[in-house]
Amino acid sequence: MLVPDLVSPFVVSLYNPVIAVGILVGFIGLLGISFQKNDLSVLILTDIVGIAMLIVVAAVATDLAEALILPGLVVELAEILAISEILMSREMRKSGKKVELLPVPLSLDMEILKTAPNFIALALVAYGVFLTGFTGGAVAGVGILFYVLSKTYRGIPFGLWEGMSGASGIAWCLWIAGFLIFFVFPQIWLLGLFLSSCGLLVKVASKIGLVGVMGREEFKKE
Amino acid sequence: MDIATISGQLLGTIPLGDIVPYITPFNLFMFAGALTFTLLIAISRTETQVEAGFGSLKDREVKVGIKEFRIRRFLAIICGLATAGAMITGDLFNFTLFVALIGIVNIGIVSAVKQIDVLDAAFQYGLIAMMASLPLFGGAALVLASTGTLSLFQLSQATFTPVMVTFASVLLILGVAGETGVAPFYATKAEMFRTPGSPFILIIHLSSLLVIVRTIEILLIINKPF
Repeated sequence: MLVPDLVSPFVVSLYNPVIAVGILVGFIGLLGISFQKNDLSVLILTDIVGIAMLIVVAAVATDLAEALILPGLVVELAEILAISEILMSREMRKSGKKVELLPVPLSLDMEILKTAPNFIALALVAYGVFLTGFTGGAVAGVGILFYVLSKTYRGIPFGLWEGMSGASGIAWCLWIAGFLIFFVFPQIWLLGLFLSSCGLLVKVASKIGLVGVMGREEFKKE
Repeated sequence: MDIATISGQLLGTIPLGDIVPYITPFNLFMFAGALTFTLLIAISRTETQVEAGFGSLKDREVKVGIKEFRIRRFLAIICGLATAGAMITGDLFNFTLFVALIGIVNIGIVSAVKQIDVLDAAFQYGLIAMMASLPLFGGAALVLASTGTLSLFQLSQATFTPVMVTFASVLLILGVAGETGVAPFYATKAEMFRTPGSPFILIIHLSSLLVIVRTIEILLIINKPF
């Protein structure tokens, strides 16, 4: 038997309806594309087909499926970014005008950026380190991003964020090494677990922090 | 079908948990071929197109700037490595991911060109590639759901083919066709070739050829037609 007995039969019986729903959603998206003549709307409708793909993958509903959804989602996002970039550069060539990808500098005139940045950023980073892993990385990254935004608002130069991208690369290597240890030497799994979770923490945190670097480059132009 | 029947003598497996890459002469040859072509692209220079001027005796040279050249070469190398990965991988989902990466990089290679026609073709190709991700990943997920494994080595040892796997194979071939832009989706891809920068453009073509051959091998492995 493919499915273990402790899974209730109701959950197993959901599989076929979910596949049908996924394919139906895909067809609805394709129908919309066939009616639509505006390029931008076609791009947005194509995303519906991509989400239908996530439904079909998620229908498997094991921990392996969870591991498959993440690359699926990344591919989906990368494709929509690439296509929208193509659309933008085509429109720019047609009209002869240049448009920035992110319309920064933003006017971030919020009081909280002046009064409480250090404490909130520190609390977020500390909580993120305590959590570790992907979630912790996201929380810590939000802390770093908040710090960057507030520093930007006060007009302090930041050379620090150059090193951030280096740390991100090293953390990526730690993560990969951790995964390799899982596969090659399963008996020292604890080391692999710590390597990959800490690497992922630094990786995700610095990735979100790197948004600050992009922001800085936009500010330099001004 | 048995791996030894379709891809030649089984030279060995690399046991990494449940992902078991297997090595056969067929896979090794395709892998080495993709890597060799990637190396050739990495060390080559871009072509200069010479267009005959209409109504005069002058020729017009179309050159690719060094900045555009660099990014294109980088993306072409990534595309070659992804193709090589798709040739050697023993995991069905990794194969689909490599194919999706090839699709994204193909869009990237032509994204920096100046011709509006080529950008338009790349946009249409990108839309098809994105729609094709539904059958591509959906097919792989259906194989996982109905057999319990994604390892091609284990799938080749299964004794019978569930109906869902046949359905998944149809989805998979649809997905690969859309993602690599072969018939019936080839029109936009043919338009994409009309741009200078030849050796890097060629990897778009080569990757789809190799991926199709590997897809046929995979489909023969997971279905048992004989």
